[in-house]
Amino acid sequence: MVGLVAVGLPAALLIRLLTVAATLALARRARTCRWVALVGSMLASLLTVTVALEVIASGLSVEGVLVRHAASGIVFDYAVTPLSAWFLMVLGVVAIPTALYSAAYFSHSVVASRIAVVGTAFNVLVGSLEAVFTASGVVAFLCAWEVMTLATAALVATEHQERASRRAAYLYLVMSHIGTGCLVAGFLVLAGQAGSLSFSALLSGHVVSGPLRDGLFALFFVGFGVKAGVIPLHVWLPEAHPAAPSSVSALMSAVLITAGIYGLYRVCGFGLGVPDQNWALALMAVGMLSAILGVLYALTQTDLKRLLAYSTIENSGIIVLGLGAAMMALAHDQRALATVAVAASLTHVLNHAIFKGLLFLGAGSVVMATGTRQIEQFGGLLRRMPWTGLFFLIGALSISGLPLLNGFPGEWLTFQALLLGFTATPGLVRLNFPLAGAMLALTSALAAACFVRAFGISFLALPRSPAAGSAHESPLLMLVPQAWLATLCVGLGLVPGVALRALEGVIVSLPGLQLTSPMAEGAWGMASGIGSFDHVVPGIFGVAVLSALAFAALLTVRREAVARRVPTWACGGDLTARTEYTATAFSKPLLMIFRAVYRPRRQVDSLADVSPYFPQEVRYRTEIEPTFERYMYAPLVRLVLGSARGMRVLQAGSLHTYLAYVLVLAVILLIWLGGTT
Amino acid sequence: MIPDAFLTIGASLLQAGGMLAAAPLLRTAIKKMKARLQNRQGPPLLQGYYDLAKLIRKEPVRSETASWVYVAGPRVYFAAAVAATTLVPVLVAVAPLEAAGGILLLVGTLAFGRFALATAALDTGSPFGGMGASRDMTIAALAEPALMLGLFAQALAAGTMNLGVLVRALVQQGPSWHPSDLLAFAGLFIIVIAETGRIPVDNPATHLELTMIHEAMVLEYAGPDLALVEWASAVKELLYLTLLVNLFMPVGIATSVETEALFVALMAWTGKVFLLAIAVTVVESTNAKLRLFRVPELVSVSLGLAFLALAIRFL
Amino acid sequence: MTANILIFCAAGMLVTAYLMVGQKALFTTIRLYGVQSLLLGIVATTIAIAESRPELFVTAALTVTLKAILIPWFLMRTVDRIGIHREIEPFLSVPASLLVCLGLTVVGYRVSTGFQEGARGVGHHLIGVALSLLLIGLFLMVTRKKAITQILALLTVENAVFLVALGVTSGMPLIVELGISFDVILAVLVLGVLVRRIVGRFESMDVSRLSKLKG
Repeated sequence: MVGLVAVGLPAALLIRLLTVAATLALARRARTCRWVALVGSMLASLLTVTVALEVIASGLSVEGVLVRHAASGIVFDYAVTPLSAWFLMVLGVVAIPTALYSAAYFSHSVVASRIAVVGTAFNVLVGSLEAVFTASGVVAFLCAWEVMTLATAALVATEHQERASRRAAYLYLVMSHIGTGCLVAGFLVLAGQAGSLSFSALLSGHVVSGPLRDGLFALFFVGFGVKAGVIPLHVWLPEAHPAAPSSVSALMSAVLITAGIYGLYRVCGFGLGVPDQNWALALMAVGMLSAILGVLYALTQTDLKRLLAYSTIENSGIIVLGLGAAMMALAHDQRALATVAVAASLTHVLNHAIFKGLLFLGAGSVVMATGTRQIEQFGGLLRRMPWTGLFFLIGALSISGLPLLNGFPGEWLTFQALLLGFTATPGLVRLNFPLAGAMLALTSALAAACFVRAFGISFLALPRSPAAGSAHESPLLMLVPQAWLATLCVGLGLVPGVALRALEGVIVSLPGLQLTSPMAEGAWGMASGIGSFDHVVPGIFGVAVLSALAFAALLTVRREAVARRVPTWACGGDLTARTEYTATAFSKPLLMIFRAVYRPRRQVDSLADVSPYFPQEVRYRTEIEPTFERYMYAPLVRLVLGSARGMRVLQAGSLHTYLAYVLVLAVILLIWLGGTT
Repeated sequence: MIPDAFLTIGASLLQAGGMLAAAPLLRTAIKKMKARLQNRQGPPLLQGYYDLAKLIRKEPVRSETASWVYVAGPRVYFAAAVAATTLVPVLVAVAPLEAAGGILLLVGTLAFGRFALATAALDTGSPFGGMGASRDMTIAALAEPALMLGLFAQALAAGTMNLGVLVRALVQQGPSWHPSDLLAFAGLFIIVIAETGRIPVDNPATHLELTMIHEAMVLEYAGPDLALVEWASAVKELLYLTLLVNLFMPVGIATSVETEALFVALMAWTGKVFLLAIAVTVVESTNAKLRLFRVPELVSVSLGLAFLALAIRFL
Repeated sequence: MTANILIFCAAGMLVTAYLMVGQKALFTTIRLYGVQSLLLGIVATTIAIAESRPELFVTAALTVTLKAILIPWFLMRTVDRIGIHREIEPFLSVPASLLVCLGLTVVGYRVSTGFQEGARGVGHHLIGVALSLLLIGLFLMVTRKKAITQILALLTVENAVFLVALGVTSGMPLIVELGISFDVILAVLVLGVLVRRIVGRFESMDVSRLSKLKG
């Protein structure tokens, strides 16, 4: 076992490189190519998960050197700290079923014809994510970060004949590069101060102080925030996630955003010294904003994958909120409280990855079966795709934060952190905590409404289009991964202590955190970690619910034999899909209530031949205002384009002018150098 | 000596059974009082039980469009409501299943039931189900933060989120007479009105498609399925009132399992729930139902009060 | 016990103020004001008994008869006569108003910790509630359009001032109190007449229309 841990990561990297080579070599033979790419990915992921689990269990970091170039002094080394291991494990938990799913999913439509590219990009994406989580130096980290961005962009642009996909990929690249730019700047300043490129020196927390530290925090916050998809840096996410093939969307929503979260943890939370109170406020505010706006936007989407993408923003917000609470606690030296908050946030990272992966895989199956992503075109799918429907329902229940499933532990712990935070911090700042609590409650209730809608409109009642009526269940190969993730949803919901106990090792490895009392009550229960504030054992309660369920069944079983099936009363007409409640109508009350956020616009056209009182056709169009795109990014883009136009004067296009620039610059530099020496 | 596990199971069964038995009475009592305020005779006090008995004996009639979700909906809703009763202290200052969890688990469980019923309502293809589900989830979503904050205000004052421990702490401290008590109570009372589908938020007696909320959601149900829904709603209502009563006026609640103490507790609990029921009746009788889009205003008042309750206790 | 009653009533007054902000029916608003004044009367009576100051009984009686019965009755009659029963859209939506009021209450409470007794005594709550009421009353005057609501807001401010007086010094001298009471009743009468004149002139009691009076 020890040997495996030591060579695990290089071996995984080797497997990935071989897989990529084989995939490209076999590009002509689509089927073989597909299997090679995905089985290779699974093998590599298995290795990394093993390493990750071992590190988490032992609590000891694994370090090693990949490449050492003596002449330039550049070293690519890696370090699997417990925190890295946690994210590595999350990646593996989703990447393995996703790869298996892809083995079937990539055989259809456009992806099939580009399997070599997609297979390669898939491997590169997972590999670079592994590298991001384990890099222990700035150069390796930034390289991996950039490769990850490019691989994702390639996958987003898989269907590049579609304008929307190209636009999504472009937007993603632009936003990512803004983020990467901030990161590069931040790391350069940090490295300049520390005189080293290794994380252990850079992120020791003693490198910078004062206003410079605040500036660096802002840079890193923006840089990692873009990847984490928090509002207002989220604009790329709802475009890019749906555009990619569904299994890749699963990977992006479940794990790619956690790359940003990982960065926030590593650098903003625990790398720049004791956090400032204002940083924590910024994180909490952004977290709340993302959570509430994410779910509100998700509620109105009619594109299933976009809906899931917005809900990713929401969950990312909850995770960031937890981290913000932890930082607030650290700023006030409340270590035990910070521990609870970190546990909440990291638990949600894992659980969100599982149920969001599951939901995206389910969405992929539905999209494959019906050929559309529009919820209004689905309907009645539960009868035609019973297994997919069941798994999607489990995912929907989980993401709504309902007890007995795995969305609950993260939200439960976050609530603990917020409530304890209210009593533990001084002054008016503490009012943030109940505010965040109210926001979180609203968010989870809205998420429930959102997923009642997503599941109910898509899977229940009558088919709303011919495509939905002739849908078929997905092949076994696509169902098995979903079954696995659904099992994890239920399992981690019933025995939350397992994940929490594993997390304890991760928590104590972070600077400034300490565990006063264990948070895992055996495998079955969770406690609030401070005193005896609260505890929960979903398993016991599950038994109570099951007993009550059995009682209900017993009460009604006597007449079950004479149950009759009759047509639904449709007010005297025929019951068709047109009489069903639509997804748009379902979210209309909330759209009206939160119209200050949505600023909806609607247009009703009545097309009449003879008289306006007898319309032949009524067309209804509604849209919500893209607030951030219109009021934040549009002016920004105008500014950039405007200044670019201004700079065009410099770009004369004449060789001599350019040479003159060089000359002038050289002279200035020489004078400057002469002045300083 | 009986092992603890058996004691817990026994207490849970007793409490769940008791709540199930008492719940229909509460609904009928409110109906009756309302009728009296309108100079009508009103139904006999046992009408709730007659209705349930009759519904359970009827044949289940279900839509042919519906799937298993439709059948599961009422059962899960019922199970959630019944299981939730074991998390709340009723007569004794101990919740039978307080080892399982506290406020968050309680709220989550009720949300689970709502999720199940709302999803099932979408299954028949009837527009009413969708309408009801949409409105019910909307109001629930708005009410949730106020409900949570109101409960948190009490929880933080006592330093625990576990309802059993919380009530014991309250009994031990005696009434705190802090302004935040009253604020939280007022906030929660509004929420209880909203969550139990009473006027001014919803009208339990209407079947007019434009105004009904909860009734629209369960419009397609008949027979035993409907019985489960109705019964569970009644249990939920009793549960909310009990929660209010025991969190804010834990007077008379038994701290030991002696016949005398239990008897006093039973009397006290009945009296206090009855008082609250009168309050609900008065509110129902003197107010007009609000438009759906006016409900957020009412709920925001309650959210404001709950937030204030939290804030001023620690300012 | 005294302290408990005082705090309970003060909190009740705050709740009525919030309910006033939270809804728009004029009748209900007037009733809420009545309840608020009644609670104030109880506060005064309680202090009178506890500190055995008979002159406060007079004040309490005045408060209850005038503000809990007479003024509400008069205002209801006015509303009935002019036949306008609802506040139209206020300048700020109800949820937003509540948010502002929350802030105001927090401010009021925060400030009250600086007063004598400092920590957690009865005075702290009375003054906190009173300051919050004062601010909420002013806020209502700023954002509501109907003249009747404006009067009620003014009266709420007056209640708040009275509560502060009770909280800080156990009440003002009787003569001052009498003066204020008659001032209030006179103000209400004048304003009531004014409302009817406004309605007669503009067929509305939207005070924002008064801006049309300028040349």
